[in-house]
Amino acid sequence: MSSHGFSGGPAVHDPATLPSDDNVNAYTFCVELDGSQWFLQKGKMISYYGSIEFDGIGHGRLDRLIRTSFHSPLHASDWVVARGSGKMLLADRAFDVNSFDLEDGNLTIRSGNLLAFQPSLALKQSIVPGFLTLIGTGKFVAASNGPVVFMEPPIRVDPQALVGWADCPSPCHHYDHGYMTGVLGGLRALTGLGGASGEEHQFEFVGAGTVLLQSSETLMAEQPMGAVPPDAGVPGGGAHGGQGQQSGAPRLPGQLGDLQRRFGL
Amino acid sequence: MGFREINPKMVEATVAPGQRLFSQRGAMLAYRGDVTFTPSVTGGQGGVMSMIGRRIADEDTPLMTVEGSGTVLFGHGGHHVQVIRLSGDTLYVEADRLLAFEGTLEQRTVFLGSQGGVMGMVRGQVGGQGLFTTALSGHGAVAVMAHGGVFEIPVTPQRPVHVDPQAYVAHHGDVRNRLSTALGWRDMVGRGSGEAFQLELSGSGAVYVQASEEKL
Repeated sequence: MSSHGFSGGPAVHDPATLPSDDNVNAYTFCVELDGSQWFLQKGKMISYYGSIEFDGIGHGRLDRLIRTSFHSPLHASDWVVARGSGKMLLADRAFDVNSFDLEDGNLTIRSGNLLAFQPSLALKQSIVPGFLTLIGTGKFVAASNGPVVFMEPPIRVDPQALVGWADCPSPCHHYDHGYMTGVLGGLRALTGLGGASGEEHQFEFVGAGTVLLQSSETLMAEQPMGAVPPDAGVPGGGAHGGQGQQSGAPRLPGQLGDLQRRFGL
Repeated sequence: MGFREINPKMVEATVAPGQRLFSQRGAMLAYRGDVTFTPSVTGGQGGVMSMIGRRIADEDTPLMTVEGSGTVLFGHGGHHVQVIRLSGDTLYVEADRLLAFEGTLEQRTVFLGSQGGVMGMVRGQVGGQGLFTTALSGHGAVAVMAHGGVFEIPVTPQRPVHVDPQAYVAHHGDVRNRLSTALGWRDMVGRGSGEAFQLELSGSGAVYVQASEEKL
């Protein structure tokens, strides 16, 4: 409709030409609301047409909705519900934005990457610290630094490049430091001479499913997602301290401290 | 072998036994198969002396050796990636722009002063290259990073090309470059166009230019 984009200057949109639940360009997504509701992360709406109300959740009026599709009330204050009719545009600091459809499926995503989702999906905290899981049928919008690439397991992924995974391949840690063994390797580990390759640690995925990667190792800012109950046996629950640090903390190349610890040095 | 562009910011490389790859440390995004990543002290060829030389020249961007069999995805910092295939000629590029390159290529450090004496050194300073730059020669592919998209401008003897030093990424072929200045009284009184310095490339080859004046 408004495809006179390149020759005649920027494309001008109005409510009729904006796409419905689709990307306007690589960095902006348009959601059509028709008396329906969407959850969105605070501050990700950039403009809207029509009459849309934005309600902070956790303030009484929407308690039922939160009970049914929002299973982690601890971080509900970081989300708002958009209700009404019209079209709204979502974007996040010029990161690439994509929508994904789930059909009776599940997908686990890094908390900072999720922008918005339909209430027909249930949002839960993942057991893996720093990640959220969406279950059910519906559409959600996620941001990534560079286009998202879908890969089939078996694959090993740099922790910073991982966006999420669908259909439950088993995520586990993989360590690769063969060059640190032997006499020369030991010398290297002790003195730090020669540095580390920065790729000693990956996430390994096996089994059936899909792994989502972003095209860069620059992480999106992690979104607070609430604490988990401090019970024994809950990863990141605080009963045994600091277990959840590994996934989120950026690792500097050449940083040897944790490698040495791993070797018991 | 070689690099396959998956999207503008990511390349896929195939590694086979006996062939190795060098890549910037920490630039691996994911891999399949049995691949190992070893920090490479010497960063390619030349032994200890050239390693010290590179360190002095500030062209010692940490590299790692990628070996094994499988496929590896590379990407870094959300920068655009351009794959350049070399067939016998030499590519001049800043070491920190190198994302990955094939082990068949020979790497060495070049002193810019050797290309035009003092003006070469001035040119390096203005272009943000410093006094040294890295040259890759031989047969193989190189993945180069840039801020914004990259385009290739052919340089022919009849047609020299002028490039903003900040937008310059790399060049290959038999190209001489020269810093041309257009300093006038306007620059002295602070009313310059902001384009006082340009790189003039002449000869025959190609220059790669990024769509941004931001450095990596």
